[in-house]
Parts: sequence; structure tokens; C-alpha cells
Amino acid sequence: MDQQTAKTAAAAIVAGLKKAGIDFVATLPEGKTFELTCAVEQDKELTHVPLCREEEGIGICAGAYLAGKKTAIMMQNAGFLNSCNALTTTSLQFQIPILMLIYYAGDIGDRGFTTVGSVTEPVLNAMGFRTYILRKQEDIDEILRGAQILADDSKKPVAVLLTKSVLGVD
Amino acid sequence: MQRYDYLKLIAEDSKDALVVSTGFASREWFALRPSDGNLKTRTLGLVSSVAAGLAIALPQRKVIAIDGDGAFLMNLCGLPTIAQKNPGNLIHLLFDNEVYEASGGTATASRTSDAVAIAKGAGYRNALWVKSLEDFRAAFTRAWKSNELTLIAIKVEPGQPKNLPPLKLDDIENKYRFMRYLEATEKKNILNPGFDSKLTVT
Repeated sequence: MDQQTAKTAAAAIVAGLKKAGIDFVATLPEGKTFELTCAVEQDKELTHVPLCREEEGIGICAGAYLAGKKTAIMMQNAGFLNSCNALTTTSLQFQIPILMLIYYAGDIGDRGFTTVGSVTEPVLNAMGFRTYILRKQEDIDEILRGAQILADDSKKPVAVLLTKSVLGVD
Repeated sequence: MQRYDYLKLIAEDSKDALVVSTGFASREWFALRPSDGNLKTRTLGLVSSVAAGLAIALPQRKVIAIDGDGAFLMNLCGLPTIAQKNPGNLIHLLFDNEVYEASGGTATASRTSDAVAIAKGAGYRNALWVKSLEDFRAAFTRAWKSNELTLIAIKVEPGQPKNLPPLKLDDIENKYRFMRYLEATEKKNILNPGFDSKLTVT
């Protein structure tokens, strides 16, 4: 797949986030989400906070949520693992929702990250986070909006795992 | 001097600022300035990040983070993020007692590191050590009036007054009261009632 495919996919995901009401996005990029991170940065309607480490992003998004923002964090699954304490002692402890867009490194067919891939869903499940795997571009709007409503109503983090196919990357 | 002596000086000056605190400092601040605009965080280190999220989302409001050396050192990577967004309405206070006070009093690494140098290196344009009550109050007033992101760091003795009232707020109660306070003072709806969300999410 070429760069244009990834750009088109990134635009569709950003549009889906906005349709879901998201207006505040913290990111820590990974190679597969490069175009998506650029699309978030370039969108003037989204407040974008580029992070140095994922766990601080859970705190930043918590503060923004309290002030009325609809927040999402975009990270790799290794970054999700970095965030587990904050997700527990900030998000769950205070019942603060956040939409987590997690690149699924080590997913079926994704080379080089099988260790992190193999612990991702078990850890999400252990923490009690509803988790949806987004593989097809035609499902973007429905899954993102549904996951955001679920996060907002349950006042808990909800995970959407992004795969190579939905991101339009090899 | 202890942290309480310094906090006492700015309780009145803080007016309707949103104040995010952590550890033992929360009990002191809640006693000095009782308000639903106070929030006590739980995750060690994230007080500055939560305060920054508030400050970025509400640029018209003053936000104060009451940080401690243990928390500050745990979240060093949060500092360049804050400096990059540069929220001028955030005043970052660091009370450095050189120990993990809330967990018994063993030493932190702040004795052999320099928080102001770290903050400056991370990109804070305004970061300073203050050594007296007068200098602290002056620095606080300057940060407030200039509306520039500022770290004010103070070396303090561990400990707090013995007769402080206990914190009676449950975390979730604290969150709801804080959000309702913001709804009232910002005159906007923040919390969507879940049952009605299909009408209000987008």
C-alpha cells in the first residue's frame, strides 16, 4: 500500500473521531500511525498534545475531560502498558472516560512485536476495559462513535485496537 | 519553614483558581482554601499533567499545581510536554522536602538534583528557586500577573500542622463537585447524563 492510502485512512479516522465528538487528542506516534498523527496535528478543530511518555497523557486527558473536553489518546500497545498505573489510579479511580486508540503491534500478520502483541488483549481484559478491534475502514465511524458513547456513559476507558489494514499501511 | 507556611500566604491570592494537589499537601490546601475548585490526584507524578490538561482546556482560568519532589521526579517526561504547550495560565509550585513524606520519609533524589535546572532544560522559560516567604509571594504574584508558565520551587522542612481537619472527600465525590463547580463558574454543560447521551454526545 502506498502513502496515499495511509493518508486517506488517516483522514477517515480523524473524521470518525470528530463525528464521535472527540475534540482533544494526545498522541505518541508509532511508525504505523505516522500519517494519523500528522492528520491529528493538522486538524484545527482538534486540540493536539504530543506526549513524551504515554502515562502523562492519561493525566493530561483527565484534566481536559474535567473541563469538558472529549478526549482520546493515540499510542502503541507498548504505550498502553506504560499507562496502566495512571489508567488504574486516575481513570478508573475517579471514573474518568478516555477513548484509547491503540496500534496493535504484534497483531496477526504484524512482524517483530509478538511479545507485546500477546499480552495486549489479556491486560486490557484484566483491567476491565471494553475492547474493539478496528480492521476495516468501513467500520471506522460506527466503532469510534460507539466506543466513545460507551466510554462517556460508563465513565471508563474504552480501547479501540487499530490494525494495519484500517490504517492503510503494510 | 514547612509547605503549610508558604501555602497559607497564597490561599487568599489564589481567588477562584483551580488547584490540583497531591499527597499530604492536599489536606493543607483544602483546609486553607476550602473550595470545590480543589482537586486531589492519586497517581504519583500526575499532578502536573492533570493540571496542564485543565490549563490547556481552560485557557481563561488560572490553574495551580501543588507538586512535591517525589511526584515531580516521577514525571520528568511530563515537563517537556507541558513546556511545549506552554500554558501561560498554569502556575507550577514545587515544595521540595527531599523525602517521600507520604510514604514514611525516605530520601528522594532531589538532594542531588536541581528541579529548576531540570524544568529550564525541559523548556520552561520561567523557573526559579525561592528562599523566603516574601520571595515566594512575589514570585507567585508575578506568575499570576504575567500569565506565563512558571515553576516556583521551594526547599521546605517535612511535616505539617498537627491539627488539620481530615479530608472527608471521596475521590469520585471530589471529581463530581469539581466538575459541577466548573459547570457553574464557566456556565456550560460538562457532564452528559448517560441515559440522554444519544442527544448530547455530538
